[in-house]
Amino acid sequence: MTDDIIVLTDVRKTFRDFWLRPTVAAVDGLSLTVRRGEVFGLLGPNGSGKSTTIKMILGLLDPTGGALRLFGRSPRSVAARARLGYLPELSYLHPFLTAKETLRYYAGLCGLDRRTAARRTEELLEMVGLADVGGRPVGGFSKGMARRVALAASLIGKPELLVLDEPTSGLDPVSTKEVKTLVKTLAAGGMTILTTSHLLGDAEDICDRVMILNHGKSVAEGCVDELGASLEDFFLAKVGKADDFKLAEFLKG
Amino acid sequence: MRKFLEIFSLETKAFVRSKALMMLLVASIGWMLVFPLLAKGDGTAAGARELCIRYSLGGVFLLLVVSLLASATGSLARERAAKRLQLTLIRPVRYVIVVLAKIAAHVAVGAVVLAAACVVLAFKTDLSVPCSHVLSPVLPSPREEARAMYEEYMKDPETPEAVKRTKKEIVLRLLENRAIDHYQVVPTNTTAEWTFPCLPSDDRSVAVRMRFSAQYDTRQDVRGRFDFGPWSAAVTNITQAVVTIPLSPSRPLTLSSSHLLTFANFGSSALMLRPRKDLNVLVEADAFGWNLLRAYAALVAILALVVSFGLFLSAGLGRPVAVFVAFVTLAVSEMSPSVVEQYPDELETNLVDRIGLHITRFAAAATRPVSAASPIEALSKDECVERGAVLRLFLADAFAVPLLLSLLAAFALPRKQDF
Repeated sequence: MTDDIIVLTDVRKTFRDFWLRPTVAAVDGLSLTVRRGEVFGLLGPNGSGKSTTIKMILGLLDPTGGALRLFGRSPRSVAARARLGYLPELSYLHPFLTAKETLRYYAGLCGLDRRTAARRTEELLEMVGLADVGGRPVGGFSKGMARRVALAASLIGKPELLVLDEPTSGLDPVSTKEVKTLVKTLAAGGMTILTTSHLLGDAEDICDRVMILNHGKSVAEGCVDELGASLEDFFLAKVGKADDFKLAEFLKG
Repeated sequence: MRKFLEIFSLETKAFVRSKALMMLLVASIGWMLVFPLLAKGDGTAAGARELCIRYSLGGVFLLLVVSLLASATGSLARERAAKRLQLTLIRPVRYVIVVLAKIAAHVAVGAVVLAAACVVLAFKTDLSVPCSHVLSPVLPSPREEARAMYEEYMKDPETPEAVKRTKKEIVLRLLENRAIDHYQVVPTNTTAEWTFPCLPSDDRSVAVRMRFSAQYDTRQDVRGRFDFGPWSAAVTNITQAVVTIPLSPSRPLTLSSSHLLTFANFGSSALMLRPRKDLNVLVEADAFGWNLLRAYAALVAILALVVSFGLFLSAGLGRPVAVFVAFVTLAVSEMSPSVVEQYPDELETNLVDRIGLHITRFAAAATRPVSAASPIEALSKDECVERGAVLRLFLADAFAVPLLLSLLAAFALPRKQDF
């Protein structure tokens, strides 16, 4: 069994318009390897290609060039998808389903039998603190509650690889801390985790290794400890300073 | 199977909880109950019955075609736009299962609404009224007849050179149209005969449905006698009227009985008829209740075809484009046959007209399974919706074509790079 869970080799992704003219090179020659059991962080400013990279890893987007393997297979293979869990940036739940139905639906898609699905649903709702409201439609949930349901849904199939796109987005500080603790617990249990974030404090807390992306290219990669005393300083040095946004000048008029 | 059922269940829950199913049921049952009160027939009970079946059940079917096509066409596209589709596609489920389950859920909703409409119809009509097998004379196909006419036409020295130079395909198409409307003349005091595929093997009632014409479309008396195996009937009527004449047994049915239908014209003038359009033998079949059941199966099969086409479009196109293409295709499928029939080739001198006709002919041929398959007209006329035809329709429209479209949709689904 290979220890390289995700392998990207010189992966490129160029979006094209209706006439197939290239418009944006979202990812440009990216190579990375995520090994079994590590928590890998993809960091970068908005538009740096984090989400595009994740969607290529999930098989939702085709790379324009390069090679991409997930568990040694194509990301579109059913066998690779069976070992995968994904928490998107927003929850994207079916509003008319209850929290329990949502989890049972995804359990069914993961191939769990009804009894196991029911048990896992109860466990996960308990874990994310929504056991009391499991019978309510998720359309009426707050953003934070919906996010917890989505997190539970991503874990329903007991995945070997968990992909988290901005996992703490929309959560209050208490929930954020809970999610970070959960990620650490899952990682300690041997789960491989790939996460994106632009909250550097979060990444510093949970990631073993990080890669910093800017304009679709890797500008730095390494263990959090190796990158310097402060990840924030390192990040700003690599991708630009805050005043690059020229906000102050704009406000001055 | 579990994954299929999960997606099927999700889709049906969406129909139920969004109240779409309830609205469709209320609209359909309401229409079935109200339409007969509003419709004005020709004053006869049979006319009222035909009107009621054709437009009440037809109205419900049209409602289902339009609403399910709109829903299916938006289904995947809407989920993709709302980013929900990605959460299904990253699970270990084959894309073709996703598409097939969605098709099945839409068809199930259509089948439930259609069943409710049929139950209302069953309560409002006499289920024991017998329907009839409609037999047509055994004739060469219009294409074969056109080919024979073409050979003769080209050998004829009086055929204009311009026609001889015209492409064979165009002349054949014109001759084929002529063959469909080919009139056979029955001069006075002569007997015309037509072969039919079979004779009823028992004592079921038999009738002839015919429509005679006269030269210059004037009304003339029709006087004559039909004979078909052991059955016969005298005819006294006028031209232009569509008349069903019951035949009575005049001698016992034997194995050697002829399959020939003969008509002896005793009238004072020659009569004309188009054997392909104006002449049928009607043989008593089973009751209306069974016919309704077969028509229901055929309608569900057509819904499956419509829905699978909508989902196929939805897999590869954005919602507005998919909906536009679906409804244009639906409109073209309904209109193109009459356009093709009414404007055969005379307009082909103009390039734009020629291109238009080619496109319309292609659309008519491609969408014939939907435009020509509806059993509602046959049901309303108490003609038998034949079991074999329903089976063929079911195999093609509810299995083969949806499966093919699902495979194509499954191919397109992950390649629509819009996540």
